[in-house]
Amino acid sequence: MDWLEEELRNALARKEPSPDFAARVHDAVRRPRTVFNIRPWLAAAASLIVMGSAGGAAWRHHQGVQAKQRVMLAVRITAAKLNQIQNHVREVNR
Amino acid sequence: MTALVRAEQAGCDFDWLVKEHQSMVFSLSYHFLHDRDAAEEVAQEVFLSLHRHMADIESPAHAAFWLRKVAAQRAIDEARRRKRRPQVALDDVAEPSVRNEPRDPILGEMLRKLVATLPETPRMVVILRYQEDLDPSEIAELLDMPVATVKSHLQRSLGMLREKLHRRGVGGDPEPGER
Repeated sequence: MDWLEEELRNALARKEPSPDFAARVHDAVRRPRTVFNIRPWLAAAASLIVMGSAGGAAWRHHQGVQAKQRVMLAVRITAAKLNQIQNHVREVNR
Repeated sequence: MTALVRAEQAGCDFDWLVKEHQSMVFSLSYHFLHDRDAAEEVAQEVFLSLHRHMADIESPAHAAFWLRKVAAQRAIDEARRRKRRPQVALDDVAEPSVRNEPRDPILGEMLRKLVATLPETPRMVVILRYQEDLDPSEIAELLDMPVATVKSHLQRSLGMLREKLHRRGVGGDPEPGER
């Protein structure tokens, strides 16, 4: 083993944690697990986002369909009026 | 019979395991993260995890292996989570004011900081080799990698450390095979 390996062995020798480390571990072990479990909340939030997105998409689709129906109705009314006017013009010309 | 009672009958008393292995678990994290508070947090998590898995522990030797493996993995995870690699920039590593006499504390600190600049896997390999005195086959088993990879990491890391020390005027010329 060369000097670098010797020095590494010395530099990386084990160190002790704080004197109260073991006591803190034992306290943590005895403490009932009251850790806030974020997973159900994340799942619920994800569901809401998905539902919201899906709902939003459905609403936008519904609005699009309605708008298309209104445009088609307007086109039909306009076509009927134009037909009436065209017929009237033909009768006048005769 | 509870898991803890079964484990204690196998010679694995949790309190004893904490006392026996706290310096090993803490030091693995400390040398890896170069941050005392973070190392204590990681070490505490490792022991809490051990407490939850006491039923799986078959013997004190198995407990030591389990703790080493989990401590190494948690330290690597923590480093990745913090995205703090390298923990110590090379520029922050002070020049030694005195040469490399045996047990030179300044050289020791410089070496710890240089080790902290190594990439994650080679860093853990070096720590397991020189802190825990494990041979390459034991390190390979702990880190789930081929022995040849461990040896390669060790050789390259030593070469890098030697070269960085040489640039700072410490030690002899780097050995060509380690570059």
